[in-house]
Amino acid sequence: MTDALSNPGAVKAAPVTRPRRRRSRTMRRLFPYLLVAPAVIYLLGITLYPGLFAMWQSLYFVRFNNATFVGLENYADLMRDREFWQALWNTLVIGTISLTVQTVLALTLAYHAYRDPWVKGWRILFLMPMLFMPSAVAYLWQLAFNDGRVISDILMRAGVVDATIPFLSSVWLARLTLIVTDVWQWTPFLFIIFVAGLQSQDAEVEEAARLDGASWFQIFWNVSLPLLRPVIAVAVVLRGIDISTMFASVTIMTAGTPGGMTETISYFIYRTGFRMFNFGYASAASVVMLVLTIVIAQTVVKRAFRSGRA
Amino acid sequence: MAAIELQNVVKRYGAFVGVREFSLAIPDEEFLVLLGPSGCGKTTTMRMIAGLEEPTEGRIVIGGEDMTEVDARDRDVAMVFQGYALYPNMTIYDNIRFPLRMRGVPATDHDRLIRRAADMVELGAYLDRKPGALSGGQRQRAALARAIVRQPQAFLMDEPLSNLDAKLRASMRVQIKHLQRELRATTVYVTHDQIEAMTLADRIVVMNQGAVQQVGTPDEIYADPANTFVAGFIGAPPMNLIDGVADGGTFTAPGVTAPCPATLQGKVVLGIRPEDCVVGGGNLTGSVYGVEPTGDMTYLTVNVGTRQVEVKAARDFRAGLDTPLTIGFDPRRTYFFDGATGQRLRHGS
Repeated sequence: MTDALSNPGAVKAAPVTRPRRRRSRTMRRLFPYLLVAPAVIYLLGITLYPGLFAMWQSLYFVRFNNATFVGLENYADLMRDREFWQALWNTLVIGTISLTVQTVLALTLAYHAYRDPWVKGWRILFLMPMLFMPSAVAYLWQLAFNDGRVISDILMRAGVVDATIPFLSSVWLARLTLIVTDVWQWTPFLFIIFVAGLQSQDAEVEEAARLDGASWFQIFWNVSLPLLRPVIAVAVVLRGIDISTMFASVTIMTAGTPGGMTETISYFIYRTGFRMFNFGYASAASVVMLVLTIVIAQTVVKRAFRSGRA
Repeated sequence: MAAIELQNVVKRYGAFVGVREFSLAIPDEEFLVLLGPSGCGKTTTMRMIAGLEEPTEGRIVIGGEDMTEVDARDRDVAMVFQGYALYPNMTIYDNIRFPLRMRGVPATDHDRLIRRAADMVELGAYLDRKPGALSGGQRQRAALARAIVRQPQAFLMDEPLSNLDAKLRASMRVQIKHLQRELRATTVYVTHDQIEAMTLADRIVVMNQGAVQQVGTPDEIYADPANTFVAGFIGAPPMNLIDGVADGGTFTAPGVTAPCPATLQGKVVLGIRPEDCVVGGGNLTGSVYGVEPTGDMTYLTVNVGTRQVEVKAARDFRAGLDTPLTIGFDPRRTYFFDGATGQRLRHGS
């Protein structure tokens, strides 16, 4: 040992013969699974377990610690429940309008901005509204529309209207407030995705179209937009899933008024579960919503990718 | 078809000069090749003709009309890109149709024009496919068809063959030349491949570092290079360039002596093409470094002093490594260049 320390060169020169270690065949096969196991266990715990629990619970009539098996009765009740259908319809109407408006808006903005080097450098600025908590955004717009009457005030001063607009008293005005809130917060998300998609397209193709005599809009319409299809589909599906669970703005701004016409499915589930403590019934509604969402999302994505492929 | 004229065209990117003082008249129906290594400004020059880049100074005239400020879409030139730049979402038919639609050609003529263009490049059978379902060569021909379907003022081609394999490149080369003759189209063709330049061009412009080195027919460029850059760029393998000293009618370098014009004095560069050297003879003494038979001839690399000289030897020439040997130069085919500037020193000047 002292020899080696006083003469390190000798240690280096002597080749170390080490037995080559091998992992057993079983170990080699299991190793990748072991590596991902913690994440999988965590995810299963917070998503799969509650999901399965909801499915189980949807077959019971539940009052706190007291569960009675009722089979598919919750589902049968749900199909006859006018409030459920109304909530589904409200979600569809508000979601479709909001999603359409923000997609068109984001595409328009992206088309005008994606060649701009400034946009490339300051993408993060456009994400600002997304960084706010949805509930904070809801309070903000609640203040603007109802409590603070900011919007009415601006419109009055501009001479557009004569009196304060009662946003909560009309079905479509109340829905409008929810739509505006959602569009304001989430258009930037779509904008960023579309800009990234457009910027990743082959610039040569655009130049070729230019030389073929196309205007910027013709290039966008005939070439860039069709190529963007899969990106649009994925972004819209993500946003659609998100919108279908619209909750914070409903709770804070309208609470379903007037007459349940702004009650979304999420709010309906919350109300039956946590206001009326009908957990089994709420679970059944959740399961129906889950199935609906999966089916619609699958169909949209599959179609977009099939026809988008070259 | 139209003539193209570049008048003192300059392109600067900040302090970097992409193209310096480019002036050239391209007559109608000429096939002009811009040749040079990557980054020499050849593509930038073509993109300025297309209108995809704006020249910092100078004017670009197409068909007698000043096009410097005119937008690319209104210049009526067609371009074939290196990456083909087909529209992946459209069938080949719609790809070829796109310029007709955009330029407002009456829809009743579309089908006839598209089929004629597709037949010219032998692509008639693939019109209903999308670009993704075609091979590289077929995509290249689709891009050509899209360019020829309308009769533009000029064709611009940016390294159109560089993504193809060697065999396909040779056959496409012939096809492009045939097409150009048939359409009598003014064509500007950018390449870094000197074989393409030599075989296709009516005239070649050799460029380096943004500056034009020489303009001439392929024969002129090959037989009468203006400087060491052109001499060293053209030919496969290129001309041997040997640094040495001229004194009293004799050129000397380590291991090399050759007669030179008596007027030359001081540091010069001797240029001799591999095909103008013969094994045996008394201009060069060295030893064999490498022998590469190719079938129709043998490439021989000779060590001379600290340098190597390439020789094209007879097909049956063979020699072991380090065998001493001598090489003779064809005295009518030796070139001399200024040792400092690299410019050609012409006999009698």
